[in-house]
Amino acid sequence: MASAAKSSGRGAVTDGADLSLVRLYVMRVIYLLIGLGEGSQIAPALFVHDPTARGVIPSLLSGMCLLCLLGLKYPRQMLPLLLFEMAWKYIWFFAFGLPQYLSGHLPPTFSDDFMPITFGVVLMPFVIPWGYFWRNYVLAPGDRWR
Amino acid sequence: MMDSKAAFWARGNQEVSLARLYIIRAAALLGIWGLFPTVETLATHTALDRGVHKALISGLWVTSLFALRYPLKMVPILLFELVWKLIWLLAFGLPEWRSGVGSPQLQGDLWSIGAFPAVVVLVIPWGYVWRNYVMQPGDRWR
Repeated sequence: MASAAKSSGRGAVTDGADLSLVRLYVMRVIYLLIGLGEGSQIAPALFVHDPTARGVIPSLLSGMCLLCLLGLKYPRQMLPLLLFEMAWKYIWFFAFGLPQYLSGHLPPTFSDDFMPITFGVVLMPFVIPWGYFWRNYVLAPGDRWR
Repeated sequence: MMDSKAAFWARGNQEVSLARLYIIRAAALLGIWGLFPTVETLATHTALDRGVHKALISGLWVTSLFALRYPLKMVPILLFELVWKLIWLLAFGLPEWRSGVGSPQLQGDLWSIGAFPAVVVLVIPWGYVWRNYVMQPGDRWR
């Protein structure tokens, strides 16, 4: 196990024994929720939309949903996607959602955005395997420079 | 001299070549530099800004910081960049460009989003992706 962890310094490849089975399933449920749950809501906007719609937000979200399906097979290796999911939702919550909620100045899209994003803000800290993150994305030596 | 040059481009017994690591890091640097103007707006946006677009881009900016140190582990983000930009090109960019009724930002977006899949394709270490995200057995189920 120790040697496997050592050799994984250049990739993210071990046999998955460094996370509990429960954790792997928790992550898979979230990948599935994002991939199919959120995906089924976002995808229609790709096909039916205003001809001048800018389309950046639905494209970003549906790309995320599509790749999360790969997380079902490789929950550990797709962790950067969950980190991205947590990062952008926290950024939105503290830079936009919360200040707007507190000030009472709400953009028209606020009610659509606030609940699903806040749900992620509450949920994601419980989904991400922080010990694994700490070992592999903070303490682990970076990929080689020379 | 030739040896070190060859070693720079060859994978040898490593997952990817040193050249590939630097290519990914260069893409990460480009992201850190190119997305920062959006990150700055987090502090200066108008009160009624929807903010989802800015938050998503800023989230990508955070992941590019990690990619400098761990280019291989952040490959999923490169795949994500490729996929969402391709989706945009196929579902929004190209149809609007062909119909001639594009949004005011269409020209800018065609460059900053639509042209990028061609770049990302060259950055992604496809052999590594094939070995680790296709051929490799998935994490355990029981």
